[in-house]
Amino acid sequence: MSSDAVKKRKPKVIRSEAGAPETKRGRAEGDQDVRVYNEEVELEVRDPQQDYMLYKDTCAALAKLMEEIQELKAGGAKVQSVEIEERRTQCSVHFITLKKLNRLAHMRLKKGRDQTHEAKQRVDVLHLQLQNLLYEVMHLQKEIGKCLEFRSQHEEIELVSEEEFFQEAPAEISRPHVTRDDQHQLTLARLDWELEQRKRLAEQYKMSLARKEKIQKAIEQKREYLSSLQPGLQNIMQASLPVQEYLAIPFEHMQKQAEVARHLPPPLYVLLVQAGAYGQACDKNLSVSISGDVDEAKALSRPPEDSQDDESDSDAEEEQQNTKRRRATLGVQLDDKRKEMLRRHPLSLCVDLKCKDGSVLHLFFYYLMNLNILTVKTKVSTTTDLSGAVSAGELLNSESLLNCLYASDHGKETPNPANRYQFDKVGITTFGDYVSDLGHPFVWVQKLGGLQFSSGGAQSGLTGSALSASHMERTMKLLRGRLQARLALHKQFSSLEHSIIPVSSECQHLFPAKVVSGLVRWTTMSCQEFTELGFVQHVLKAGLVHETDLFFMATVERGTARLRAAVVMNPRYPEVAPLFSLSLHWKGERSGRTDDNLQAMESEVNVFRSELQGPRPGLQLLTNQIQRLCVCLDVYLETESQVCDGSEGPKEFPREKMCLRTARGPSRLKPFKYNHPQGFFSHR
Amino acid sequence: MGPVELLHMSVFSQSFSPCGRFLAAGNNYGEIAVFSLSAALSPDASEASQKPILNFTAHDGPVFSLLSTDTHLLSAGNGEISAWSWAELIKKSTKAAWTRKPSYETSLEIPEINAMIINPKDNSLIVGGGDNNIHIMDMETGIFKSVLKGHTDYIHCLCFKEREEEILSGGEDGAVRIWDARTNRPVHCIEVFKYEECARPQFGKWISCLATDSDWMLCGGGPSLSLWHLRSMSPTSVFPLPGCQREAVFYQDLIMSVGEGPHVSHCLHGGTVKAQIPCTPSSLNTLALNLKNSEHRVMTVGGSSHQIDVFTNFSYRAFSLSF
Repeated sequence: MSSDAVKKRKPKVIRSEAGAPETKRGRAEGDQDVRVYNEEVELEVRDPQQDYMLYKDTCAALAKLMEEIQELKAGGAKVQSVEIEERRTQCSVHFITLKKLNRLAHMRLKKGRDQTHEAKQRVDVLHLQLQNLLYEVMHLQKEIGKCLEFRSQHEEIELVSEEEFFQEAPAEISRPHVTRDDQHQLTLARLDWELEQRKRLAEQYKMSLARKEKIQKAIEQKREYLSSLQPGLQNIMQASLPVQEYLAIPFEHMQKQAEVARHLPPPLYVLLVQAGAYGQACDKNLSVSISGDVDEAKALSRPPEDSQDDESDSDAEEEQQNTKRRRATLGVQLDDKRKEMLRRHPLSLCVDLKCKDGSVLHLFFYYLMNLNILTVKTKVSTTTDLSGAVSAGELLNSESLLNCLYASDHGKETPNPANRYQFDKVGITTFGDYVSDLGHPFVWVQKLGGLQFSSGGAQSGLTGSALSASHMERTMKLLRGRLQARLALHKQFSSLEHSIIPVSSECQHLFPAKVVSGLVRWTTMSCQEFTELGFVQHVLKAGLVHETDLFFMATVERGTARLRAAVVMNPRYPEVAPLFSLSLHWKGERSGRTDDNLQAMESEVNVFRSELQGPRPGLQLLTNQIQRLCVCLDVYLETESQVCDGSEGPKEFPREKMCLRTARGPSRLKPFKYNHPQGFFSHR
Repeated sequence: MGPVELLHMSVFSQSFSPCGRFLAAGNNYGEIAVFSLSAALSPDASEASQKPILNFTAHDGPVFSLLSTDTHLLSAGNGEISAWSWAELIKKSTKAAWTRKPSYETSLEIPEINAMIINPKDNSLIVGGGDNNIHIMDMETGIFKSVLKGHTDYIHCLCFKEREEEILSGGEDGAVRIWDARTNRPVHCIEVFKYEECARPQFGKWISCLATDSDWMLCGGGPSLSLWHLRSMSPTSVFPLPGCQREAVFYQDLIMSVGEGPHVSHCLHGGTVKAQIPCTPSSLNTLALNLKNSEHRVMTVGGSSHQIDVFTNFSYRAFSLSF
């Protein structure tokens, strides 16, 4: 309708003016004084609720008017009647009101929309600002983070601690008045100081290097000088040979030996060195020498490539004969393997121990290469002829001479436990079968060569030369002692076999002047014969008899009484005393088990043996024991009480020994203890 | 003690402790060993419990006699008597409580002491030994108050009759002498070897063992072991044992004796030998019965061996203690 036209004429909103809405409606064009009708101002004044009521009223009025008109029309009134016309004008007015109201509603709506839009704009602007600020904040935070993470290279340098720094650095660098407060300055100062120190040290390093170079050069020069001396020295040595011979210094000989010694296997070498050293230092009667084939020894140590060339040549020759040659039988092969396993090194050592009386103990030491053990063979050479004592046959037998030098070291088995496996491969059951050929593998021999096997008892933790040196002195002393003991026994035995008990003058005081009982027989026995005796079973049961012992039988007689003494002698005589077991045949058979007095006699020689040792080294123990047995038998027979068994007549053995009492104690023992120099017998 | 010394050892004396749980034994080297019977008899006994808990040298010469009082062990060495407190011994302390020597006349050889007994009535110790005399010592003061002389050769064994207060002594001279303990005077002298039924001239005349039980007396040695009735002073039974007996005891209705030969002989009063139980030593010197303790009621014998046989059932050897 004409609302658009009204809108076109709408002027600008006048805000400052309170605005009276009822201004004259008229056609004012460009006239400032003309009052315009401002419907928008009117809008602010009117209440929407009222307008709504007005609208509803107007609609209701219209509806009513229409109704009336309808009625009137229905009533047959003319269209142009006044009432209808009146009502029609009223309707038109109402229509105009409705239009105004519609216009107002539209205007309100537009206003609302504008306001909303404006607010939204404002909000958008603020939002954008907010976003910008947030973005900036984030950016700044990242920057801060990066700054904080920054690791300057200076932190990787290790600086001296602050206290040290303040102490050492000179004042112009440390500037304590500044740096104590300011961390940054402090760090700078420290870095400065570090730099200076490093420069200084670098200087020192350069100088040291230069010095080292100089010294190196000097050493080189001196070395050249020394090597130039060598040919001159050789000439001098050659020239000195005749001088050596003239002065009898075997310098050259020792050199040659040292040369050969280079080809010795290590255990023999250790033994050579240690024995030689011991001989020089402590024992002038000990000498060591090397014997054997040096070339073979050299051949052993030659690398296998050389021999391969030879082999290929010989192989070619052999191939031609191959068809003729038969393959060796299995037995022979095994035999060869055994021989190979038991092979000895071509070089051997010979150690000679000389004694004061001129007899020499020769020891030959061999090294079994595959078994890694040393063996020894012995030989005794004496100045006098040693025949004549039948019972002494075993004494100097080279097989048994060195038996049990140390307790239970009988040398029949190899001390190296690894050999067991090697033996199994080639079918050797015991090493004992080969001992007579190859020598005895005693444990002390291994120790002298510096070989220690874990099967031994106490481990000393020493090996090699230290082990050898720790055993050398004792072993040599034992060897010498053994030889002397055996030689002494030899002499004693030849005397005993002639029924003479050799008692030296130092031991005369142990026995009375007159001893009537005498030794009539002295024989040797085998182990078998010994164990079959009836009166030695107690010794066997006590475990005091071993296979390596020597067994003898002494027979002492006086009148009709015959005393048999079975002797067990340990190879370590006289360290271990011989053990006597007695059996008396006189008016019946009695032994130490049945007769307490015979047991007392056994005690006299077995238990109180320290009295009978004689002068050191106690080699007269056996003969003194036998002499004491004779004395005790005298006492026993003479103190036998006169029994009333119906036989009259004088006693067979008149009392000659002086005794204070003939019986003492519950077992009524006889007095067997001889007192010197009073010469009477008493009880223990 | 090496193996050779052990081989030549002889055990001469034994004594049980007052509580009956320990055994002390003396040997010819002058050592005394204390064994714990409770350990050796317990069900989990081992080899180690058969060894002595304490072994020390008590005297120079052999220990021929051991005797236990209520608190002490008395041991006799060469002419001296030492006392050891049992409580100390069990704690393994070897300090002697006291040592006394009877006064001897000769000075050339110190005589041994072969037998010791206690007279409970006046608390005195009676010893006999190598000087042919019996010495009586008062236990409280330690003074030797009297000497009984009469034997012509050394004394082997002593015995005490409580009811009549009489001392019996047997010696090498073959005589059994009876002394009155109150008056110290000899009452009787029996020379056993003069009786034909007992005498064994092929051995000798010495008397080495004596035992009494009210009116009965056992004696033996060179002559056969015989049972005597003291009232009538005559032998009623003679035991046909082959060797010379060294110790005999009355036990219930049996007589047990040891001597030469490796066995313990059980005999009846009538004169028969009921049994001979074999032992390890080849001849025996001492027999002891532990009657003080009913738990450890054993018999132990020792002789010419380093082992002491223990019999829990008196008919056979159970095990051996060894020095």
